[in-house]
Parts: sequence; structure tokens; C-alpha cells
Amino acid sequence: MFDIPKEREVPFAGVTPAPVGEQPMMITGNWRTYRPVIDHEKCNLCMNCVIFCPDACWQLNEAEEEVVWNSKYCKGCLICVNECTTAALTKTYELDFEDGVVRLEKLF
Amino acid sequence: MAHVHEITVWTRGVVKDKEGRDVANALAKAADKEGRFTQAFDNYVDLPDRVNVPVRKYARISDEEIEMRYDYENEKPEVVVVVDATMVKGMNILRGMNKGGVLVVNTDRKPEDILKFIPNKDLLKAIACVDADGIAGTATVDFSGSEGGVDAVGLGAGIAAPLLGAVARATGLVKLENLAAVVKNKEALYRGHEQTVVQTIN
Amino acid sequence: MAKEVTLSGCAAAAQAVKMAKVDVICSYPIRPYTAAMMELAKMVANGELDAEFIHGEGEHAQLSVCYGASAAGARTFTGSSGVGVTYAFETYSPISGARLPVQMMIADRTLDPPGDFGSEHTDAMSCRDQGWLMGWAETPQEAFDNHLINYRVGEDPRVMLPQFVCQDGYFVSHLPGKVTLPDQSQVDEFLPPYKPPHALDTKKPVSHGPQIRPDQGVIMDLQRAQAFLDVPKVIRGAIDDFNRIFGRRYSPFVEEYQTDDADVVFFIQGAHALTARHAIKHLRGKGLKIGLVKLRFVRPFPTEEVAEALSKFKAVGVVETSTSYGGAMRGGNLLHEVRAALYDAPKRPLTTSFMAGMGGEVIPLQEFYWMAEVLAKAVKDGRVGKYVYWVGFEQAA
Repeated sequence: MFDIPKEREVPFAGVTPAPVGEQPMMITGNWRTYRPVIDHEKCNLCMNCVIFCPDACWQLNEAEEEVVWNSKYCKGCLICVNECTTAALTKTYELDFEDGVVRLEKLF
Repeated sequence: MAHVHEITVWTRGVVKDKEGRDVANALAKAADKEGRFTQAFDNYVDLPDRVNVPVRKYARISDEEIEMRYDYENEKPEVVVVVDATMVKGMNILRGMNKGGVLVVNTDRKPEDILKFIPNKDLLKAIACVDADGIAGTATVDFSGSEGGVDAVGLGAGIAAPLLGAVARATGLVKLENLAAVVKNKEALYRGHEQTVVQTIN
Repeated sequence: MAKEVTLSGCAAAAQAVKMAKVDVICSYPIRPYTAAMMELAKMVANGELDAEFIHGEGEHAQLSVCYGASAAGARTFTGSSGVGVTYAFETYSPISGARLPVQMMIADRTLDPPGDFGSEHTDAMSCRDQGWLMGWAETPQEAFDNHLINYRVGEDPRVMLPQFVCQDGYFVSHLPGKVTLPDQSQVDEFLPPYKPPHALDTKKPVSHGPQIRPDQGVIMDLQRAQAFLDVPKVIRGAIDDFNRIFGRRYSPFVEEYQTDDADVVFFIQGAHALTARHAIKHLRGKGLKIGLVKLRFVRPFPTEEVAEALSKFKAVGVVETSTSYGGAMRGGNLLHEVRAALYDAPKRPLTTSFMAGMGGEVIPLQEFYWMAEVLAKAVKDGRVGKYVYWVGFEQAA
């Protein structure tokens, strides 16, 4: 038998459990330079952001009756800002916020 | 084995990919003019064809032949250049740095506005902030020079030039005149050198 | 009851695949293997075989279909010949790396220089380093048996590797021979159903074939290397069971014929062993102490068995039927392996190789007589003249 250190083990045939929900191996929040900021007063829940987001980073919170943004995965493509029907979303520079820090140790 | 100065450039895929590559290439070329041993290359494992993805470019400068030419990554960068300031929130950009390193950031904000996002800032000897976007205008969105592509735009035509000026100013790793000899936008290089705000930390 | 029938190698392969209760078959035509798919298509069409029969749009697609089907949990079968085999080359390592026991029949065909359709082992031998099991059949009967044996070995949880089950084009694939078809109950006893470790399951989703880093690639290489170290043991067990259940007398790796007092032997795999046996019979009649050692698996290569078998003799002539242009032995692939296997043997025979049956030509008895002469001369001289002889085109040196 070969001596493979524990931390270097690879699953048999490279087959890995597929992510259900979020993919922890591919966090993309650090791709973002600008983020969409929502003004809930203006939002009419048209759901365009939920439909158009390529990464499912806008979700409807049915209890609160508002759309919720996922800062861990939003790449800042701003398609939602473009598609928003009521101008409730605005493009804002990422360094203006203290939150949304992902701070990965390694890219891969 | 002689000491190898490792410079790691953090940039973003596609939109600022060439600018990051230009910083690494220009540093190596300028050092080459000083008769030193150099290397400049893109990180091979990153995925640079995705818009905005964090990617790395590397330069190595040494007074003797570089023995570990084939290492994939700069394990212990002593200079880190950040082409897009927002990346300080997304990555541990100082990973592997020994105490006494230098950080160069493209930003119009003050050093303390950047340092608040860097919990391991005590590794730094100094931080240098330069408004490269303001000096050189927009970044060059171009695949020139990537993986063997023809560089039709030229080295250091965009925001790489002021960033290089900032690196020369903050580190003294290469001479400004040697950078000027390889960089296309010389005016931006000099302005970057002049307008860089350097703050000593330790 | 088992029954004796007369079948071509292609038809025998199809019968074996049917009795193995294969789930997914993917075809694309190229001579000479095509007849196997035509037989299987008929079986599926008339309800004899309950399997998905998929027409691939090329060999690359054939193998890709089987890759997916096998990952989903199906027992799969595909096949090809000659340039079809090499067209699918890209898929071989991913399939063995994914540890999927896809079975591929190869009925040999030359690699077009250009447009030859004769049998030559170079097509399959070019793929020998891709992590697949590989071995040849001498007759339609052996072809039938090898398909079952390979499914059993390849699907063993200790192995989980794909298999090239090879037979010489035309000689075996097209010329009918006697085949004893076993009862389905015998096959079922020998070959349990395929139990994939990651069968398609919507409740337990998995990712196959992810992008990995160089430091992970080496670990996956190691996994395959370990599997190949474990294969010989599994093959031995499978052959024991096969012989018991079907009443055959196969040895797992090397088969000897007339070797008890032999000074020189032919070392060979595949169809031409049949002619070689007859040549040996005649040569023995003339007093020459000659025998034959036949290789049944070239991957995994049975290093110890080959060294042990061959070190008994004074000279070994490797009959190649494939070539490696510019190789260390200036020709055949098998001689590389044979010499490497013998290197540490306490007693080493003289070894040389013969390019015979190239381009798909028959190897007539006379050519075996000539090869025997070369070997006898080598024994007399105490040395071999050359690494390789192109039989029929040069003098014994």
C-alpha cells in the first residue's frame, strides 16, 4: 500500500458529494467590486432580480415579504440592477461596506 | 541558494487581467536590464477567463540563478500588488508573507481605509496607495499577451504604469529609469511614482 | 445444457455480452468488429436481450456514452477496430481514472498506412498505458470466455477498471470456430450483477470527473497504480472460478504448450498462436525441441510469471504482430516487456523478436519454421544477431 498523508487523500475515482444548496468549494463573493443595494421602499417584489440572477443570489423571504441578497456568492455582475423594474437597486462600491468580507485563504 | 524576491500581483480575470500581467512582466523586464535573474508568469491554476475572478501574476527577481523556476506559486511574497482594491476583502492577500513586506494598492482612498480590511497588517513594513485609475484612465480590457497571444496594446499602457511607479517608490526593488525603458505610458509611470502615498507601518 | 455451436469471434463476443446481461451498448461501425454489434442489434430488436442499444456518432461518442452509462450504474459494452480505437483515445484515461468498468471489444485492424483493413495488434497496443486491462483471444471460444472473465475482474470492487477485450480481426473475428455456449445459470453463478459504488441516485447526488489540481492528480494516479497491483490476485481467483464452473483449463496469465523439454519457444499473444502450435507439432516431428508460451493478459503484464516461464529456455522468439517505430528494440512492443521482465531473472534466455503478420498478413507455417531456424542458430551461436527480424524480408543474421 502507498503511504498517502491524510490531508492529501482524494475520494475514490475523484467522485465527490455534489453540493445541495451552496457550493462551499467555489465561494464567489470575492469576485465583486460593486454590489447591488436594495431600497425596500421602492421594491414591488416583481421578482426580476430573483429570476435574472445567474447565481441565485436573490431569494424571496416569504415571511418577511422581501427579497434577500446573498453576499457570500454574489459576483457583482449587476444584472439585477439592470433588470430592476422600480430602480430599487443601486450599484455601490464594495469598499463602502464593512460587511461582505469573504477573505479566502486559498483560491483553490 | 540566493534570495529570490517574490512579487505577487492580485488582479481580476478578463477586465484587469492584462494590467496585472503587465505589472509582473514590467518588473521582471526592468530587473533584467539590471543584469539580474528574473521570471514573470501567470498563475497556472487560477481561472483567468472568468470576468472579475481573483487571479495572480508573479514576478521573481534574484541576483543569482533562480533554482526553483518551476514552482507553481510564490510561497513567500515580499511585495504584494493589488490591482483592484476591493480584493482586500476577498482574499488573504498577504498569505505566506514574512514580516517586513510591502503592499501596493490601486485606490483613491487613504491607507487606513485599506488597512482596516487587512487583519494581518503587522506583517507589513509599508503600504503604498496610488490612484492608478485616476492617473491612467480605465484599465485595458484585452487578452493581449496572455498564454502566447500577441501583445498588440503594449506593456504598461494602462493602470499598470502608475502601479509600477508606486512599486519602485515603495520598494526600490527596481530602478525607475529601467521601468521607464520598458513601459509604454511613461508619463503615468512617473506620475504614479510621484503621487503614491506611502505609509510606514513597522 | 451447454451446447456446442459454430461462431465467428464477433458472434461469440456478442453471445458472451448477451449472457452477461449487459445494460447499455453503444455502437459505431468499422470493420472488422462491426459484426459483433450487428449480432447484438438483432438480439435487442427481437427481444432476446433487454438492453439500451445506442448508435454513437463516432468512437469518441461511443466511449463517452459508456462512460456516462457506467457511472450511472449500467453494465456497458462497446467496441471498435483500428483507427476507430485511436479516434477514441482521449476517453480511455478518463474512464480508467473514473474507475468505471466499461468493456470494449477490439477486433484488431491496422492503423491505416493508408486504408489497410488487415489485422495488426498496433491499434490496441497503442492504448496499453491508459489504465485498462488488456488481453487477446486465440479463438472464438477464448474470445467468448474472455468477455465474461473481464467483466468479472473489471467489476470486482478491488479493481474497478475498464477492459479492452481483444481478438485478431478477420482471423478470429470473421472465421467461424467451435464455441461451447454455457447455460445462463453457469454465467450467472460466475458473474454477479454490477454493483457500482456511486450508482445514479437523486437522493445522494455526486459530481463525477471534477476539475482537480496537480497535487490531487498524483493521488488519483496512485489509486489506479494500486488497483493494478491488486488485479493479478483477482484474475487468479476469477480464472479458478471460471475453470470450475465452465470446465475449462485456463491458466491466468501464461499458457505453455510443448515446453517440458523445450530449448526454444515462441512467445506470442492472439490468433497466430493457433498456427504456431501446428508449426511446433511439425518441427517436433523433425526433432527440434520447440514449444510455445502464450500471453493471456498484456495489462497487467505478468512480470513474475513471464520471467519464471521463459527463464527455463535457451532462446525465446517474441512473435509481435505490432510495432513500436523507433523503440529500444527497433520494433516490437512485447520484446520490451519480455526483456524487462527477464532482467532480474537468475537465468536469462536469449531473446529476439519477429515482425510477423504485419499489415494483417497471415503467418504461414513456413514463416514459423524460419523463425525456429533463427532461434536454433542463436542457441548454436550463443547470441542473437538482431533485436528484430521482419519475417519474409530478411536473412537470418
